[in-house]
Amino acid sequence: MNKKELDNKLSGIRDKLLGVEQTSEKRMYLPCEAENCYSVCKFLFEEVGCRFVIVTGIDAEDCFELLYHFSYDQLGCIVTVKTFIHDRDNPSIESIAQILPGAEWIEREIHDELGIEFKNHPNMRRLILADDWPEGVYPLRKDTKK
Amino acid sequence: MSWKTWSLKKSVWVFHVNTGACNNCDIEIVNLLTPKFDVERFGMKLVGSPRHADALLVTGVVTRQAAPRLKEVYRQTPKPCVVFAIGACACDKGIFHAGYHVVGPVDKIVREEDPNAIIAYVPGCPPKPEAMISGVVKALSAL
Repeated sequence: MNKKELDNKLSGIRDKLLGVEQTSEKRMYLPCEAENCYSVCKFLFEEVGCRFVIVTGIDAEDCFELLYHFSYDQLGCIVTVKTFIHDRDNPSIESIAQILPGAEWIEREIHDELGIEFKNHPNMRRLILADDWPEGVYPLRKDTKK
Repeated sequence: MSWKTWSLKKSVWVFHVNTGACNNCDIEIVNLLTPKFDVERFGMKLVGSPRHADALLVTGVVTRQAAPRLKEVYRQTPKPCVVFAIGACACDKGIFHAGYHVVGPVDKIVREEDPNAIIAYVPGCPPKPEAMISGVVKALSAL
């Protein structure tokens, strides 16, 4: 398995991406819109054979960014799906925990900290905030005062 | 010296409370029990329940979730008892001072429960086992 075959495989979802950024041999970013994220992650996992690593949630002030990190172990390449959620009032995205149970807890954590709704998540309960933490206060949002 | 204080200073049994530490101070506490430092030669040992303890070793900054639990553990410890704040976070919040989940250093939370609590501070990140032994000796000789 080499770099060319990875590129060939990725061509199946090229129309759902906003571009492909390759910053080095072992690092690749696939920016896409929130509605396409689920199908891109599903494709990476089921068709390409990537391994799910973790999700990063970022409050980028004008939008929320979710970085879904996958590892393509044959090349040692980390493939990151960079998703933008522009609706700041009701941020939501399709949960990938349906196909990747390993994503269940990190999605719950991002829901706690940033208030992003994960649609069709199997078990969206509070994970890491204190039991008496008020509803609707998301500590890692930029506009949250301490 | 009352007989209660006199008996407290012999063979201090300690209960270890982690209120949100990064585990580094906890490792150093366990280090105290290894053959190199071996605090059991002074009759000190870790016990499994605060009801058996003479001293609390509290590590870590007190988080919102842990604060009521720390108070409950303090309530259940027979008095008189000594609270040791182990490490920079337990003494004065340390690097977590601005965290959203932080409610205060150990002394503030324990004093909310009992304003006259005996609290000893062992700063360091993490404190050396020698520093902890020295802190315990200083605290007990000040009683």
